[in-house]
Amino acid sequence: MFNVNITGEYVVFFIFATIIIGGAVLMISLEKVVHMVISMAAAFLGLAGMYVLLDAEFVAFVQVLIYAGAVSILMIFGIMMTKHNGEAAEPVKPLHETLAVIGALCLFGLLFYAIRASDFQSTAAFHPGEDNTLAIGELLFTGYIVPFELLSILLTVAFIGAIALAKKEAE
Amino acid sequence: MGAWLNEPLTWGSALILFLWSTVFLLIVLGFVTYAIYYERKVIGWMQLRIGPNRVGPFGLLQTVADIFKLLIKEDTIPRRADRLLFIIAPALAFIPSFTVLAVIPYTEKLYFADLNVGLLYYVALSGITTLAMVLGGWASNNKYALLGGMRSAAQMISYEVPLVISIVGVILLSGSLNLRDIVAAQGGGWFWSWNLFPQIIGFIVFYIAAVSELNRTPFDLPEAESELVAGYHVEYSGFRFAFFMLAEYVYVYAIAALTTVLFLGGWHAPAPFLDFVPGIIWFLLKFAFIVFSLFWIRATFPRVRVDQLMSLGWKVLLPVALLNVFLTALYLELFVK
Repeated sequence: MFNVNITGEYVVFFIFATIIIGGAVLMISLEKVVHMVISMAAAFLGLAGMYVLLDAEFVAFVQVLIYAGAVSILMIFGIMMTKHNGEAAEPVKPLHETLAVIGALCLFGLLFYAIRASDFQSTAAFHPGEDNTLAIGELLFTGYIVPFELLSILLTVAFIGAIALAKKEAE
Repeated sequence: MGAWLNEPLTWGSALILFLWSTVFLLIVLGFVTYAIYYERKVIGWMQLRIGPNRVGPFGLLQTVADIFKLLIKEDTIPRRADRLLFIIAPALAFIPSFTVLAVIPYTEKLYFADLNVGLLYYVALSGITTLAMVLGGWASNNKYALLGGMRSAAQMISYEVPLVISIVGVILLSGSLNLRDIVAAQGGGWFWSWNLFPQIIGFIVFYIAAVSELNRTPFDLPEAESELVAGYHVEYSGFRFAFFMLAEYVYVYAIAALTTVLFLGGWHAPAPFLDFVPGIIWFLLKFAFIVFSLFWIRATFPRVRVDQLMSLGWKVLLPVALLNVFLTALYLELFVK
């Protein structure tokens, strides 16, 4: 059943997977909001590592730049402006928690069985290309030009809207 | 280095790479030690003082003594501080500062990583240090530290935008995000084929934004000692404080090296008949000049106000950087294609 051979890639995959899952679990279970944002940033970094493992360096570093960098800083910035005292912990409901654990285990078992039982057809080996940054750029400005332009318009509208709202409040 | 990077990883080559990075770390630490000494000397001379001259010959051991003092100092953590974040913030600030150095090519042969998206890697990782500064300021539970952290977040985010957009012109000209290709594209024999001259607007925007990203005078608002005591690291002492300072000076190294690579032609000689001088000498000369100019600016400019800082970033640098991208694209479309 566990017919895997341990390679360096395999080990690194597990390290990143642990970081992602650990970050996500801590994000839910921690109490202070700032700690949550930090564990979320850790999960983002783990994801970036996963992209590097998949030969997608461009996506990986954009992930670090946008999510681990900008989004996390903005969230922390917003949180600092407001005051967050540790909210009192909710009363524990034993029955509710036991049922949740059983449900989660069942789902895990089902998924694990389904993945192990299914037969993945070996497709042709994937070639990431000589320069996937160049390839992404060319595709974006030829094949996907319309969605790209539409997204630019959406962002511009959001940007102008934000300025208008900020101006209204200042008056 | 290229030969070791491309062969399959064995324990032997892993050991060699590890030893190389250790040597590199020691070189960077040596640079930081003597950059601080040199900075104090230069600023001293510019202000008609002597600068450090007591510890060792010409005061050469002054920084070593300062670092030793920091290391043996009592390590204090405020009682109401957020202990965990207070402890990890200095490390989180330092690690990216050292990792970004991996993509800088020194000569044709001497480089530590040949990354396809080198420039993006640099910009992305340096953003993590900002996160660490904000966290350090917040975790200290001190109003000055928090104000410093806030200012650093606002300033870093505002200036990262023109910094990145000013580089776009260089990327357009060389057609690659790989720093080695960018240097190779500037080799044409004479110094006017460096990106400095075709991209003079981009260079000016890049340089101003870089000084701001380094939190140095005239943009040292996050740690303005006369307003905020010391900014985000006011509660830090001993080796944790040393780590924040170290990160700051390693970024001086990184930005000076990046400017050399992007705009000053890296290892290329300024004229064809000077080619007999090894590339690393040219790199070091340009690098040293950029480092000196940073100290020079610090000694001669007053600090700007917060509102001036923000309006300079958003109302001047950003439109100018965008204009530069537009002009470069227009030039490429009309004259190159």
